[in-house]
Amino acid sequence: MATVTLSNVVKRFGAFEVVHGANIDIKDGEFVVFVGPSGCGKSTLLRMIAGLEDISGGEIAIGGKLVNDVEPADRGIAMVFQSYALYPHMSVEQNLSFGLRMTGNPKADTDRRVKRAAEILRISELMDRRPKKLSGGQRQRVAIGRAIVREPQVFLFDEPLSNLDAELRVQMRVEISRLHKELGATMIYVTHDQTEAMTLADRIVVLRAGHIEQIGRPLDLYDDPDNLFVAGFVGSPKMNFIKAQIVGHDARGVVVELAGQEKTRLTQPLTGPAPEPGSKVIVGVRPEHFGNAGEGDTDLIVAIDVVEHLGGTSFLYARTAHGEDVVIQRDAAKVPTTSEVTVSIRKSYLFDENGLRLR
Amino acid sequence: MRNRNATAYRFLAPYLLIFSVFWVWPIISSFIISFQATRTVPWRFAPGFNWGRLIGDPAFFNALKNTLLILVIQVPVMIALAMVMAVLLNSPLLKARGLYRFAFFAPVVVGEVAYSAVFRLMFSLDFGIVNKLLNSIGLPKIDWFSNVTPAMALIMIAVTWRWAGYNAIILLAGMQSIPEDVYEAATLDRVSKLKQFFYITLPLLKPVIVFCLVLSIIGTMQLFTEPFLITERGGPGGGTETLGLLLYRQGFRSLNFGYASAVAYTMAALAIAITLAQLWLTREKQ
Ligand SMILES: Nc1ncnc2c1ncn2[C@@H]1O[C@H](COP(=O)(O)OP(=O)(O)OP(=O)(O)O)[C@@H](O)[C@H]1O
Ligand SMILES: [Mg+2]
Repeated sequence: MATVTLSNVVKRFGAFEVVHGANIDIKDGEFVVFVGPSGCGKSTLLRMIAGLEDISGGEIAIGGKLVNDVEPADRGIAMVFQSYALYPHMSVEQNLSFGLRMTGNPKADTDRRVKRAAEILRISELMDRRPKKLSGGQRQRVAIGRAIVREPQVFLFDEPLSNLDAELRVQMRVEISRLHKELGATMIYVTHDQTEAMTLADRIVVLRAGHIEQIGRPLDLYDDPDNLFVAGFVGSPKMNFIKAQIVGHDARGVVVELAGQEKTRLTQPLTGPAPEPGSKVIVGVRPEHFGNAGEGDTDLIVAIDVVEHLGGTSFLYARTAHGEDVVIQRDAAKVPTTSEVTVSIRKSYLFDENGLRLR
Repeated sequence: MRNRNATAYRFLAPYLLIFSVFWVWPIISSFIISFQATRTVPWRFAPGFNWGRLIGDPAFFNALKNTLLILVIQVPVMIALAMVMAVLLNSPLLKARGLYRFAFFAPVVVGEVAYSAVFRLMFSLDFGIVNKLLNSIGLPKIDWFSNVTPAMALIMIAVTWRWAGYNAIILLAGMQSIPEDVYEAATLDRVSKLKQFFYITLPLLKPVIVFCLVLSIIGTMQLFTEPFLITERGGPGGGTETLGLLLYRQGFRSLNFGYASAVAYTMAALAIAITLAQLWLTREKQ
């Protein structure tokens, strides 16, 4: 078990910088998920920790030891690749034991480790099969097994579930969670799926275009996002963003008026400095934070386009008078039958023009 | 349905016609001819005439021995060399990869006569560059064309020069189809580069290697150009005569078509037998 520390880590491919100074402190035994849109540098960051990619600047330490110039095999890590990267010409058993056999690990110990990994992942009956004859989920287990056999201090996963179908993905997600509890090792997990991030992580690192946008526990990111990007990325369906303008202050905070709707004002308490009246801002409202008329600070009339019934809850896809799309969550029993409905905003977030949160 | 098939065959007819006349028929015809005495007019059916001669003909066994000798020495050496070339070509450190790929492929494209002439010059006794080089490092000159062993070596060197690059390109294509992350996984498993080659690259490349071997075996069984042009019709004194040359000598110099056909069928049968044996030996064991 070990900590992983990234200080000002930079990665350049030629003149092209893809990671711009990342600082991340991962605690011993923590499950950290790197999440962000495609091409934001998640894999690159993970591969630098693994040692498969050189570090252009900054320092990476594992277990308190600087590893910038340490060989990948000596870093105490094991990696699970998105494509599984199994050895196609070897049986499952050989896949698991290959590394240990090649490095002269005592046979009895190798057998013990392989047996244990097979039991943990319930692949004992598959030991003689070639990867070609396994299902996607089974291959994924073998790939994880190969990591377990190394008994690493840190597990690295690069989108391990992205090749699986939706149902299997949920199942494997639970298994990975269980594995983390069972092994207690530090795990770093890369995904672009925010649901995976929310359900697996102790802490989430949100990345965008090589920058870290926010680091925090899943619910902290959800309840208290630092900026527009994180607010929009975490949560499904995503947070609604409505253009607005500061119109003044009162005893409770700043008063905001939604763009194009003079009558729709809401008041937001701020601890920091408040922007000048007239400044453009963005109001963020999560779908579940719309209430019935009169329940909140302000009422808003929206026109309903489509209603999606999911059983217990429903989502209303609607439009404001100013033409902005919003998604509203409702109990299935309380779905209005009219084409227009008045909703209230029970809770909202305020962002400035640059997308930074106003608190 | 039948109608559509008929139309398809009508379109194929010109090809099928040419294929039958110039391909199928010669194969059948030479099989028949191999059972005929063709030194008499008219030819007559005499099954033992050519085949009987074959099993007692020292010239045949000399050609067979030469062919097999080249096969067992040259083919493995060439494939090994091609493998080394492919590994180097595949190295990320290599610059100007395209240039090398072209250079390796060029010998196949160069005209056979031109290439043979250049080899004769390079290995000539008194003014060839090879003997000059040998001299300059203190070794005696070698008379490549008058002694059997150097002449055989020369044939093997020439064939290897001509085909090693071709095989290297095929092997390279095979290597590039092995996914990079398999090697990365092995690197994380602390498996050295050398072991990665022997335990990952080689086994995964086996089908491609077998393909190269089969091509080379078939090619060598028919070897003709080099002993004909470089060592002047299998010289010295038949020392480099191959089955291909024997066939040519019997068929087109002595006009003994029956015997030449028997030799041709022997060559084909040997190539098939060796290839099958090899496929069987390297088959996927499950
Ligand atoms: N070997 C390379 N050479 C040049 N650029 C690269 C290389 N590898 C990655 N990049 C670039 O670095 C950026 C980050 O890539 P990376 O693979 O880390 O993204 P990612 O966040 O893992 O995306 P995805 O979710 O699609 O896997 C991308 O813009 C990519 O084009
Ligand atoms: Mg990636």
